[in-house]
Amino acid sequence: MYVEFLGIPRERVGLTELRVQACTLGELLGTLAARFPALTGLVAAEGFHPSIAANLNGDEFVRDPDTVLAEHDHLLILSADAGG
Amino acid sequence: MPPGYHGCYLRIDLSVGRAERVSLPDAVLRQYLGGSGLGAALLLEEGAAAADPLSPEAPLVFAFSPLVGSPLTTSAKFAVVSRSPLTGRFNDSLASSGFAIAGKRCGCDAIVIVGRADACSVLVVDDGEARLETADDVRGEACHVAEEKLRLRLGADFRIASIGPAGERAVRYATISHDGRHAGRGGSGTVLGSKNLKAIAVRGSQRCEWARPDELIELSRDLSRRSFGPATAKYRELGTATNLLTFNRFGTLPTRNFQSGTFEGAARLSPEQLDAGRARTRASCVACTIGCEHIYPLGDSGVRIEYESLFALGSLCGVSDGDAVLRATRRCDELGIDTISTGGTIAFAMECVERGLVDEPWLRFGSGDAVLKAIELIGAREGLGNLLAEGSRRAASAIGRGSIAFAPQVKGLEIPGYEPRALQTMALGFAVGARGADHNRSGAYEVDFSNKVNRRHATLESVGHAIETEDRAALMDSLILCKFLRGVFTDFYGESAAMLRAVTGWDVTGDELRETARRIVAAKRRINVLAGWTPEEDTLPDRFLDTPLRTDPGAVLTRERLQELVAEYHRQRGWHARGQ
Repeated sequence: MYVEFLGIPRERVGLTELRVQACTLGELLGTLAARFPALTGLVAAEGFHPSIAANLNGDEFVRDPDTVLAEHDHLLILSADAGG
Repeated sequence: MPPGYHGCYLRIDLSVGRAERVSLPDAVLRQYLGGSGLGAALLLEEGAAAADPLSPEAPLVFAFSPLVGSPLTTSAKFAVVSRSPLTGRFNDSLASSGFAIAGKRCGCDAIVIVGRADACSVLVVDDGEARLETADDVRGEACHVAEEKLRLRLGADFRIASIGPAGERAVRYATISHDGRHAGRGGSGTVLGSKNLKAIAVRGSQRCEWARPDELIELSRDLSRRSFGPATAKYRELGTATNLLTFNRFGTLPTRNFQSGTFEGAARLSPEQLDAGRARTRASCVACTIGCEHIYPLGDSGVRIEYESLFALGSLCGVSDGDAVLRATRRCDELGIDTISTGGTIAFAMECVERGLVDEPWLRFGSGDAVLKAIELIGAREGLGNLLAEGSRRAASAIGRGSIAFAPQVKGLEIPGYEPRALQTMALGFAVGARGADHNRSGAYEVDFSNKVNRRHATLESVGHAIETEDRAALMDSLILCKFLRGVFTDFYGESAAMLRAVTGWDVTGDELRETARRIVAAKRRINVLAGWTPEEDTLPDRFLDTPLRTDPGAVLTRERLQELVAEYHRQRGWHARGQ
């Protein structure tokens, strides 16, 4: 599946997007936390900091680590305070 | 008089040259706190609803707050409150920095200005004593130039809030500028200009006591510590400009006068492209630990960029030339005009040209030069600029031929950078806002960017969320604290009560502050009702109703749905069908 970063996550990771294999949101977050130490404190397998949000395919915002992900899903990870 | 307050306001009548202190009962202070709340209470007291916003008798309130002057981070803020010359409705615009502290040290909780000076003047309030001085040497000057010249004339310990040339020429969305920040929306600067005041300068030495200083210092330390954490990282590290790419990604970036939710040139307006590899610098208001200001290099100086300026003068006008957007933003700051209303009105005119309703062929979407030219004309009130200086609603009335349907405004206030069809809780917040469409009075977009609602399909459940964000904003604007802190609170009302207890000694609780917030929202509404508000005003332009967003066909907000939401909003507020 594709993961796309926006806002602070993009700044910390230094990437716009990458491809990751994961069956659940928790598994994905754990992978990201292990691969990108700069995300420490923001992202962990158990979930993410309230200042971070995750959106599935541009539609649904998800937080539950048990959320099931499919191969062709596109997950956006962004700063939660989207406004100005 | 409770600690944290002086227990009075300074009422200055420019027409008769009189300044007097007027007592503020403790009950009024506790019920309305300060800032926007106290300003609303004073407008009601002064009978502001009956006066034309630009008439001499119309009051203009500079309201401070109990937290101003305390060590609480971001508390150095003031509210400018009046009837808006743009909307005819209640208006409160806030700005930050040393003016708030110096103004409160004049020994008053607010300064109320009525009347009109005989000639263009500077109002000097020196430790509570008021006098008028000539403004001959600063007439026509840009905001920051006027501020600097007056500081040189009066002394470095004065803090100055000034209007630019646009405020002098009664552009209806003129700002009041201080220290590079602007009390920006709704035309506060127009009201100041109508009183023949170029600027107000304040200096004072009268400090308020705090009820529980040790407790307050401990709370302040804790708040500052949290303000360095992840909840404010976006503002600190990237600034609000980073929103542009996020909004574009979600299809919620208003583009070409809200004809689209995505902009093909968005990447060129990203922070990385805007600074073109040159060092961006950061700054902060007085008494702020966040430091959200990101100054982008432009020529031999810099310009502070926020998302709202970037969207309004960029994507909304179809402009992807970052340098042009930076220059346009700086010119708005110099002239002293609200970037959102400026961009919204220009974008509206561009669409009128596109549709053949206005014969100004140079004014085309995508042209940065056209935006810059239009800004100059607006600031000078010359040619087409004289019409655009009236804002999009009045311009639409003059142009006619159905153009009001796509004038991007609510109650006359231009809509900020949130596409209402794709952010429908925010759409409700825009529709019912007392000062019109505004993201600082309704933070409902936060709800849309969460798993609490379906942002493309608002339900009655959305109403409670919209009310909650509106109440929270009303309280923050009255305490006053910066909204960029909002993410650090785990119990906003409870923690606010703790701060207020430490400052004032009141036995105030979080529950009481919830009621206070609702009272303040109701006071704003009351002013609107007295000023002639009708329920039909709580809506959105036709463009946003029944027609899908071109770039997101699933984003449809029907007229019937919005009406249901507004009716439920009124019901939950306890207002009857007429919204009163």
